[in-house]
Amino acid sequence: MKKSTLHILLGLLTAAYSLTSCEDAINIKTETGPTELVVDGWITNKPGPQTVRLTLSAAYFDNSPARPALGAEVTVIDDKGTVYAFTDANGKGIYTWAPKSDTVALGRVGGKYALQIRYDGEEYAATNEIKRVPKIDSLAYEEESFPINPPEGPKDGYLAQFYARDFVGLNDTYWIRPLKGGKPYGTDPGNISLVYDASFSPGSPSDGLVFIQPLRQSINVNQLFSAGDTVGVELHSITLESYYFLFQVRQETTNGGIFAVPPANIPTNISNKNANGKKALGFFGASAVSRAETVIDPKKARPKE
Amino acid sequence: MKNIVRIAGLSILLLNALNTYAQEKYTVSGYVKDIANGEGLIGVSVYVREASTGVVTNPYGFYSITLPEGDYSLVFTYIGYQKLTERVTLNADQRRNVEMASESKQLEEVVISTKKEDENVRSLEMSVNKVDIKTIRQIPALLGEVDVIRSIQLLPGVTTVGEGASGFNVRGGDVSQNLILLDEAPVYNSSHLFGFFSVFNPDAVKDVKLIKGGIPAQYGGRISSILDVRMKEGNTKKREINGGIGTIFSRLTYEQPFAAGRGSFIVAARRSYIDVLAKPFLKGDLKQTRFNFYDLTAKVNYRINDKNTVYASGYFGRDVFGADVFGFGWGNGTATARWNHIFSNKLFLNLTTYYSNYDYSINSDPNNQTPNDRFEWNSKIISTSVKPDFTYYLTPNNQISFGGQYISYDSRPGDAVAVSSGESRNISLDSRFGDESALYIGNEQKISDRFSLQYGLRYSLYRNLGPGQVYQYQELQPGERKFPVLPGTAVAKGEVIKQYGNWEPRFSMNIGLSSTASIKASYNRTAQYLHLLSNTAATSPLDVWTLSTNIIKPEIADQVALGWFQNFRDNTYEASVEVYYKDLKNQIDYVRNSDLLLNRYVEGDLLFGKGRAFGAEFFLRKNKGRLTGWLSYTLARTERLIDGVNNDDWFPARFDKPHNFTAVGIYNLKERLTLSSTFTFASGTPATFPTNRFEYNGWALPHNVYNARNNNRIPSYNRLDLAATLKSRKKLFGLGQGEWVFSVYNAYNRRNPYSVYVQQNEDNPLTTEAIRFSVIGSVIPAVTYNFKF
Repeated sequence: MKKSTLHILLGLLTAAYSLTSCEDAINIKTETGPTELVVDGWITNKPGPQTVRLTLSAAYFDNSPARPALGAEVTVIDDKGTVYAFTDANGKGIYTWAPKSDTVALGRVGGKYALQIRYDGEEYAATNEIKRVPKIDSLAYEEESFPINPPEGPKDGYLAQFYARDFVGLNDTYWIRPLKGGKPYGTDPGNISLVYDASFSPGSPSDGLVFIQPLRQSINVNQLFSAGDTVGVELHSITLESYYFLFQVRQETTNGGIFAVPPANIPTNISNKNANGKKALGFFGASAVSRAETVIDPKKARPKE
Repeated sequence: MKNIVRIAGLSILLLNALNTYAQEKYTVSGYVKDIANGEGLIGVSVYVREASTGVVTNPYGFYSITLPEGDYSLVFTYIGYQKLTERVTLNADQRRNVEMASESKQLEEVVISTKKEDENVRSLEMSVNKVDIKTIRQIPALLGEVDVIRSIQLLPGVTTVGEGASGFNVRGGDVSQNLILLDEAPVYNSSHLFGFFSVFNPDAVKDVKLIKGGIPAQYGGRISSILDVRMKEGNTKKREINGGIGTIFSRLTYEQPFAAGRGSFIVAARRSYIDVLAKPFLKGDLKQTRFNFYDLTAKVNYRINDKNTVYASGYFGRDVFGADVFGFGWGNGTATARWNHIFSNKLFLNLTTYYSNYDYSINSDPNNQTPNDRFEWNSKIISTSVKPDFTYYLTPNNQISFGGQYISYDSRPGDAVAVSSGESRNISLDSRFGDESALYIGNEQKISDRFSLQYGLRYSLYRNLGPGQVYQYQELQPGERKFPVLPGTAVAKGEVIKQYGNWEPRFSMNIGLSSTASIKASYNRTAQYLHLLSNTAATSPLDVWTLSTNIIKPEIADQVALGWFQNFRDNTYEASVEVYYKDLKNQIDYVRNSDLLLNRYVEGDLLFGKGRAFGAEFFLRKNKGRLTGWLSYTLARTERLIDGVNNDDWFPARFDKPHNFTAVGIYNLKERLTLSSTFTFASGTPATFPTNRFEYNGWALPHNVYNARNNNRIPSYNRLDLAATLKSRKKLFGLGQGEWVFSVYNAYNRRNPYSVYVQQNEDNPLTTEAIRFSVIGSVIPAVTYNFKF
């Protein structure tokens, strides 16, 4: 229950400071380290093309677009020995594998995958696997009003939630990705919604439960829905390693204020085959996806509690 | 246990030996009190002119001197009070209680420290700061709320992470390493509203003492400092009502004598009232919003007879936040009962028992409207203790203190239940138990007029007790999470899981250079068995106090300090320079994705290492005249070395501030008007900034290629505060006295950074920027009205 409850609490506490506190952007000088290869790859069991984007890291305050890493050799091999070649057809560092038919998927539940990259004389590798994902039982919504006009969305609208149940057995981890109008929204790293069994984090047994309410409602990202909106959710099954990667992404991108924790590096699962070779950043993820969508119909809304 | 027996035997032996050789003399002893309200006076100098020797009164105002038969003059001196001389003919042991009158009203108000004039130079105490409550009242305060902890932060060697952060840091120790005592009971969380206001009601506080080094043997349990806050006893002469209306709190204190002045009591209450004022403006759901904090302090004392006095005191404070669908509250409660007994004119006993509790509770739905989806969580730590402290006034040159303490800990780190769609899970953590026993003995010995020593030894024994599930942890990689070896071992109730014992030697000495100058040196070792697990810049009310276990070892500190003390101009000015070095063992840090709450395997998320702190403190204080105050400059370093952090290299602690300067001035302009000002300058605190960015999933993410911790520093901090206190000319309702306090915090409107951090722009997650976060970003004026009947 914790991480998010904690976030809510600390958010509340921080709100108490807002009477006097202020934040403004300033210029600071920081040291820059050597450039490294960045791997942005995530495969799923959804039919259709899969991509791995390769770029180079830059100075922290360098806000120009990331330079693509070109001329790399990118392949994914699964536990059945199938090799999937990813190619950068447009020379933009976006390496794509496309199936012959759009109904064919690369990923399969239970499959294990190895990503291999040859770039600039170095050989990098990463592995991941696609775990089981529960089906989404239903999507529901109820009328809800904010006491004041919110910065986004309507003041009087609908609060949606989805129902899904964690598998029995410890250590299932999931990533909830909210959809609006059929597209992902609320994709800020600070809004990453992670599930550990049916709750927020390990350590407290929530195994086998229906996802707890704050998780079910995490598809409302800082706003209510209006009648006629299409609300939806993609539930991704992820490995524990992916869970901690995303956890750290969220932490390092929302780590300000009075209750900040010491900044730390976001972990990577990309390793150089030569232990003394150049390091790489980023992550190779894999997931199975459950998806559900519905159109908000005021007649079907549950009465307000 | 063998060690305890040994030390007990040693003390008895020592006492017997000393007893036999101190016979043909007589003892004069008694209490020194304030004539105006009967409060015992702490630290009054009692000087015997004929014998050129003297003592000071203890925390209860008691003194005792043993001298050969004869006629003597006892001279009682105390800053701000009229000197008092008592003639005694010593041909038998006798009791002499005295009452001292304060000097003229005007001078009383400018007293900066109530103590013996040259105590600074003469006493064995070093690294000790006393601030009189009257001074604390005159220092400009944030929002006009007089605050003990904020005043402490103006002293040398004391820093804070930033405004609004709870607690304070002493000589490189973290916030949880200070033993904060309120009438001898430890206070686990010293703040209201996170760190904005401290829990001590200034109207009920009598004396504040901060011990940063040379810690005497009777104190133990925390490794960095002792903040000893003594509550007023209550006026034994007449009824007194004090109160005030401030920006944040309203206060009311009532004092009254009973049993013809043999007893008295005090009750003091404070409550914040923002919510009361806001209520009419809130609509709909917000009407249910609760937001307040309050505290209640009470104390009663009764003198049974000449030899026995009893005291009972209590504190209860709470912060409450909530709305109709969410409730959150936390607070401390303490209760202390004490018995002062005079066995003989030479042997004084203070027996203390206390109960101290800190707890918080969170409820997702306090009105229980949706029982199908609910979350409830409570956390609590309770300690109960008994603590006899004896003082044996052997000769004027030897004052022996000995005693012990037993503390029992009952920690319930998380009692929680989660309900999802009607299914309920109990996700509580096991309670943890432990106890701490200590025995100590110490002597303050005057070898000659110019040379005195204080030496002592404390032995503490901690036991982590069952029942409980005990785990070992497997380390895969330094600096990363360790995983428990399951299923662990079940330990039965009362069985010892792990035991730690520590000898804690304490030593200090004073070498007089002249009547106005001395050199002092001290060494002390301290051990701490209770740890606050907190990975945030400021500690939060949710942080859990955790007992030492098979994995969490006791924290140990060794400190040496050397100081030069000099008074000028008939003790108008006192100056000191101190240098210190502190070595810290078994310090706690955290893995990067640590999960410290409701985690049964929390020990796997802890990292351990050591710390070091060193510095020089320069202090100049003016005690007399219309202008009083002090200048303080500290040059210091605080570093940590933690396995798996910062490439296993030393890094500055989060609260490390190399330069720290404060100036405090209080100017008594007219009889009715006092002006005051404080100025603070401090180096910026350390920060960790990334060296590079990388793009992932449309996000620009930070990365530090060197994997460094605290590799940068945020801009420095400086602030000026002003205050004016104006006493009303007219008597309030013809009886009482009123005063207005006007204050301005952050007078030149500086945006002092609390922290600087990097983030992606809110509108464009691919744009990176650095953000300066200021807790107080503007001038804060305030008016307070105080009254007294």
